[in-house]
Amino acid sequence: MSAAAGAVEGARTRPAGAVAAFARRNAWTLGLLAFLVVLLLFTKLIQPRYGPVQVQGLAISVLPLALAAVAQAVVVIGGGIDLSIGSMMAFTSVVSATAMQGQSAEFGVVVVLGVLLLGVALGAVNGSLVVLTRVPDIVVTLAMSFVWAGCALLVRAAPGGGAAEWLKDLVLGSIGSEWIPQAAVVLLVIVGAIWLPVRRSRVGLSIYAIGSNRLAAFRSGVPVGRTRLSAYVVTGLFSAFAGLSLTASTGIGTPVPGPYTLMAVAAVVLGGVSLAGGRGGVLGPIVGVVVLQLIRTDMTFLDVNTNLAVVAQGIILIGVVMVGSLVQMRRARA
Amino acid sequence: MFDKRSRIARLVVGLAGLAIVVGACSSGGSAAPSGKSFTIGYSNGGGVGNGFREEQVCTAKAQALASGQVSTLTTIHRNTDAAGQLSDIRDLIAKGVDAIVFNPNDPAALNPALEEANKAGIKTVSVDAYVTDPTTYNLYNNQIKYAELGAKWLFDQLGGSGTVYYMRGLAGHPADSDRDIGFKNVLKDYPNIKVVPTADGVFTGWDPATATQLINDFIASGQYDQINGIWSSGMGQQVVDGIKAANKPFVPIVDADLYGFVAQLLDPTGYPGLKGAAVTNTAAVGGAGVALALKLLNGEKVETDPSASQPNTVLLNPVLADNVTDAGKATLKSWQVPGLDPGWPLGLTIQGWTTYTPEQAIACKGPGDK
Repeated sequence: MSAAAGAVEGARTRPAGAVAAFARRNAWTLGLLAFLVVLLLFTKLIQPRYGPVQVQGLAISVLPLALAAVAQAVVVIGGGIDLSIGSMMAFTSVVSATAMQGQSAEFGVVVVLGVLLLGVALGAVNGSLVVLTRVPDIVVTLAMSFVWAGCALLVRAAPGGGAAEWLKDLVLGSIGSEWIPQAAVVLLVIVGAIWLPVRRSRVGLSIYAIGSNRLAAFRSGVPVGRTRLSAYVVTGLFSAFAGLSLTASTGIGTPVPGPYTLMAVAAVVLGGVSLAGGRGGVLGPIVGVVVLQLIRTDMTFLDVNTNLAVVAQGIILIGVVMVGSLVQMRRARA
Repeated sequence: MFDKRSRIARLVVGLAGLAIVVGACSSGGSAAPSGKSFTIGYSNGGGVGNGFREEQVCTAKAQALASGQVSTLTTIHRNTDAAGQLSDIRDLIAKGVDAIVFNPNDPAALNPALEEANKAGIKTVSVDAYVTDPTTYNLYNNQIKYAELGAKWLFDQLGGSGTVYYMRGLAGHPADSDRDIGFKNVLKDYPNIKVVPTADGVFTGWDPATATQLINDFIASGQYDQINGIWSSGMGQQVVDGIKAANKPFVPIVDADLYGFVAQLLDPTGYPGLKGAAVTNTAAVGGAGVALALKLLNGEKVETDPSASQPNTVLLNPVLADNVTDAGKATLKSWQVPGLDPGWPLGLTIQGWTTYTPEQAIACKGPGDK
């Protein structure tokens, strides 16, 4: 079921069966997309004024968490987990907001590139520690989450800073049709430009391989240590994008990490990525984030007590994952 | 791998979960009262469980109910960051409310959503702290004056010289930044007052657990024995309890008018030798914010304070009372409301703004709540 294994499987399938094979490979994501469509129709039903402006707001709202979910998905597919994503976002966000404050638009471009490099460096540190110390991923990244959060506070003790106007405008409004939010395009371009080439490369295949079965991958000649490091680097890069999206949407940097790390884990699970590694993609988690956000919006439309809304979100998460596993188990038996 | 019965059991559990959600959704209907019926959204982006924030939300509900002009008060009350509150405010705009009252997580970060609200014809009122959006009305306690009153009392208690432990609130919150300005304004006039651990103090985050840990660490490290007074920003009760638990003599302390802290000040047997003062910092800004929003919706004129840093600002002025003088003790006693949660501030109503009774605020029921 992994996308990599699926690609091999798909190549062998005859063209007539290609669509069916594609549907089978991406059953979870397609199911989740169907759920999203139903949810959107339900939203329109309870709030008839839900239209393009609201969809644009939805896209801006999901952007940071969607990028965090992609970051988490990459490392989880490789059989690891990164609990420092929220802290890396806070760190990269305060660095960008501090560096961009009162500076020219051109300097903003330099800052954005620098912050992305910083994300790569943070991911490389996380990955090196995991590979070299052989301490479990969850322990290393939990510890590093405190380190990165502390670094964020060293850069800025309090929220503040600024953002280049072009960065703020990048996620606002729509492009082409009013129904196509710019934030969604930004998300798809970032993910497409980075994840698609990585996944199709040797490194991408190796990430799936070590996630599926590390020993088998090692015996087949996959460089396990280097691949795990690469996965953490990609995660660090996406975390930096997520941190930049926070700066872009709020125009400031906040040193205290938001609730992104664990929400990203939830979105990854909802998006059909196996926490055991080796299975899933990044599209599912993105759709998962949109679903979670839309559920929250619907709760507001329905005047559900916010505390109850959080409980309901958790129950829906379990419900969807349970129904999904049930369907998959039935299929596996058939 | 799985027998049929366990599969059915799983399905039942899943469906039960969904049923709860559907049930929860369908119970959220609204009852439209007679006369004018506005819908108002209320967004609070932090301090869930903090008495000050909880009281704010409850006074907003009580005012919405008591006004008789609000059909629904949609409350989004959760701990989140500025990006999360942006999304909450956009949800309220999408819901099509007539006005949004909110406690901002940042003075500038919410502006994009506030502009969208203005474009959609929605009135916006920021309570407890200001925002820099020019169309939004701000209503908050004058936090500069709040800090000045308390700092002056404390420094005078110490005879103008000594060391003061400076315990602040939430880093970056506008109210905390304003209090810092007020504290430092007064400090300039007292050259013999030394502030520890640094001139910028420590942050409790307005979190009781953090405050308790800070004071415990401060006592354990022996630093407490070197100070002469404490300026606290709303976590005084935890600080006093920490000192009492460590069996240390009390130093003069100034804090906000929270029920628990004022009760300590008025309890000489439980807290012998405790000298302190409470500065009012009413949480009824939530209720007053709803009242202000209704004034704007009804097209009434609102008196604003030109001395504030932002336009369209209504400032509420604080008052100080201590347990050192008889007059002060009498004032503290007059503030007490029976049945209040210890973490809640005492000023449950604001004359000229709120119309509910203190009992209604404690009941915490909004329009349509059962």
